[in-house]
Amino acid sequence: MCVDNSLVLMKDIVKVFPDGTIALRGVNFDLCKGEIHGLLGENGAGKTTLMKILAGLLKPTRGEVIVKGRKVKFRSPADALRFGIGIVMQGLSLVPVFTAYENIVLGSRGTKPSREFVEKLMKEVGLIVPLDAVVENLSFGVRQKVEILKMLALNVDILILDEPTTNLSPSEIRELFKSLRKLREGGKSIVFITHKIREVLEVTDRVTVLRKGRVMGSVETSKTNPRELAKMMVGREVELLIEKPPWRPNGVALIVDELEVMGDLGVPAVKGVSFSVNYGEIFGVAGVEGNGQIELAEALAGIRKPLRGRIVMNGDDITKLDVSERYNRGLAYIPEDRKVALIMEFSVLENTPLTEISYNKELVNRMGFMKIKRIVEKSMGIIKQYGVVTPSIYAPARSLSGGNQQKLVVGRELMKDPRVIIAVQPTRGLDVAATEYVRNLLVKMRSSGKAVILISSDLDEILGLSDRFAVMYNGRFMGILEPDKVTDEELGLMMGGYTYEEIKARKV
Amino acid sequence: MVNSRFTEYLVYIGNVALAILIGLALGALIIWLGGYDPVKAYTGLFETSFNPSDYYYFASTLSYATPVIFTGLTFAISSRAGIFNIGAEGQMYMGALGAVIVASMNLPSPLILPMALITGTLMGALWGLIAGLFRALRNVNEVVATIMLNWIAFWIIEYARNYGLGDPRRQEKTISMPIEGRLPLLVKNTELSMAFVIALVIAILVYIFMWRTKIGYYIRVLGAGVKTAKYAGIDPRIITLYVFIIGGALSGLGGALEICGRPPTYAITTAASNIAGFGFTGISVSLLGLNHPILIIPASVIIGGLLAGSRGMQIKAKVPLEMVMAVQGLIIIALSVPGFTFVYRRWRIKKALRGGESA
Repeated sequence: MCVDNSLVLMKDIVKVFPDGTIALRGVNFDLCKGEIHGLLGENGAGKTTLMKILAGLLKPTRGEVIVKGRKVKFRSPADALRFGIGIVMQGLSLVPVFTAYENIVLGSRGTKPSREFVEKLMKEVGLIVPLDAVVENLSFGVRQKVEILKMLALNVDILILDEPTTNLSPSEIRELFKSLRKLREGGKSIVFITHKIREVLEVTDRVTVLRKGRVMGSVETSKTNPRELAKMMVGREVELLIEKPPWRPNGVALIVDELEVMGDLGVPAVKGVSFSVNYGEIFGVAGVEGNGQIELAEALAGIRKPLRGRIVMNGDDITKLDVSERYNRGLAYIPEDRKVALIMEFSVLENTPLTEISYNKELVNRMGFMKIKRIVEKSMGIIKQYGVVTPSIYAPARSLSGGNQQKLVVGRELMKDPRVIIAVQPTRGLDVAATEYVRNLLVKMRSSGKAVILISSDLDEILGLSDRFAVMYNGRFMGILEPDKVTDEELGLMMGGYTYEEIKARKV
Repeated sequence: MVNSRFTEYLVYIGNVALAILIGLALGALIIWLGGYDPVKAYTGLFETSFNPSDYYYFASTLSYATPVIFTGLTFAISSRAGIFNIGAEGQMYMGALGAVIVASMNLPSPLILPMALITGTLMGALWGLIAGLFRALRNVNEVVATIMLNWIAFWIIEYARNYGLGDPRRQEKTISMPIEGRLPLLVKNTELSMAFVIALVIAILVYIFMWRTKIGYYIRVLGAGVKTAKYAGIDPRIITLYVFIIGGALSGLGGALEICGRPPTYAITTAASNIAGFGFTGISVSLLGLNHPILIIPASVIIGGLLAGSRGMQIKAKVPLEMVMAVQGLIIIALSVPGFTFVYRRWRIKKALRGGESA
């Protein structure tokens, strides 16, 4: 608790989203004047939701927010700004073709702050950016500073940063931390949202750990250590009860060697990953979202060209093959986003050949016409075998429930009788029954001798299903382990940025 | 679901009817402000387009519907792929030029017609391909590229008419298609030729192509988004090229058919005046026909009637040509609105479905 200098007090905050998701289950949070407060947790812990409430982007379902001694009910970010609260979100919100100066003064109401004012501000807080440079030509580190200056130009003294180091290089991170400390000296208070334990220890004064919508603890940074934070951040909620026949690896299916993949923002997202997967095995990839998992999956499927490294499937180097040739050789890919896997405007029937028509000669005749009869049979087969509930195969995919859409995707991919299956977040957003159904299918595939790569940020899912798994952090694997030979503390540390070797060598 | 889609279309037809009324009302206002008689003008319009007692006029309507079926198809295919190809205008010019080139070559008579149509189709395809290459390889915005290419095509045919392909006896047009290369008329003493039948057949073929072939399927998948296309194992660049080549070929064929099948000139006249505008009108036709190859046919007849009726407005109500064009444009814009909002709404729904919910 703060002593006489409490700025923000959030009491018993509950947030239920319209779809029924409970993001926050009674959270207390306080922020003192002139501190950097870390908000630590993995995906779905509720960090961002909590701060969106403070910044006026969301309304709490229940609970009280007190800012500077006054009870507040923000209806918009503008309300929060009036109380000096500003948030810098993960997706950078700058206008790329505007200059830094134009961006900084963009949000100002009334008269636009003068150049002199912004220059003075930069000197005061020690954040120097080239004001006339066009933002799209600036590095992510500098853009981050522009974002912060934009907030400061709006007279913000409570600054919330959501995963601000995501796309920054180590030296840019050091720069950013220097700036944050300077801001603190100038009396600003900062909330630093992250899943990176190291960074919390390096830059914060206090840290609050959230897990699945609950506060697991709030401690002074100087009085804690990585292991304690890791333990608070991660915990097995439920042991998944999935019947799994014993693990019988049966030959190498896939070898990935020193794979490096570029992300969408022009910064490498996968930075040298090596592993192998056997037939008859589920290989899990755990980790907080946004650490390169999607880019890894897309590189394996051939959608993204790797910068470096090799992918060998079934003994053949497939690194240079295109997507459809990989599918042809027995690879199936269940992407994270159902709106990519299915075309919602298309009927179930039209969605059926989506990932098969490019290579399967049985679906197309020599003149290039689709063999509708074959595709209808296939479509009916998927619906029957995988219990997809739909009025007919002519109904548009958008008319199916989320669970049935996913069954359609999974069914379609498994009907191709693949050898290697890549599944990314395959149970996200599904109800209990559908989740269990999909998980059982994956286990069945594995037990029938296929290789399954399961990429998920749901730790319980990874631990419950995988035979071996890796924890991915910042584009790298922190270690490859077996689920029953790892402690929660070790898991938390790896997800927060420590390698398994470091942990074992007691360097943490 | 079937029911709701049916209602959706019913509402759409209602909207079209409303749009026609609004367009006519706005047009009437302009005519009235110009000091002319709107009732007379519109009587003239309908008497010379949808006149039940004189088939000549309806034939004229269908002859105007013919070219805009082709340009409408060009736009429809591209829009199904999520591409905005508004180059049908230039592609049609090039197709017409191709036919005129063949007309100038003194080929054996049985060869003239097929060669004219093939050359026109290929030149249209080439014109589409150029824009396609810019888009696929250099990611140049297709709207900019096609607009530029429209002008380039315009000046190429103007140049050709002045130097080499001009009619030596009549300055204001190119060489005409010789009699052997002309399509037979469907109805004597009208402007309606076999070209209209070809247009109907092509529209049906495009429908089959889009919904029954692998490439057509790919084109529609691309319309659902580049991410999905890549996931399906499709190279978006190649499909983009297909869209431009096929679209260009269709408008090119449409242009060649204007030369081979459109009395009285069977040639390109000064400033392309007898083919200018069909490319852009095709966009309206496609939107009115919900970018669907079959629905484009009725849409083209409605708009063809407007184009055909402009003469009647001039003659019967003495409305000057400029004002007739303004009224015509107004009604066409009004007609595109329901189709545009229909397509746009679906696109919004699609986008909303795609842009997930943040927690």
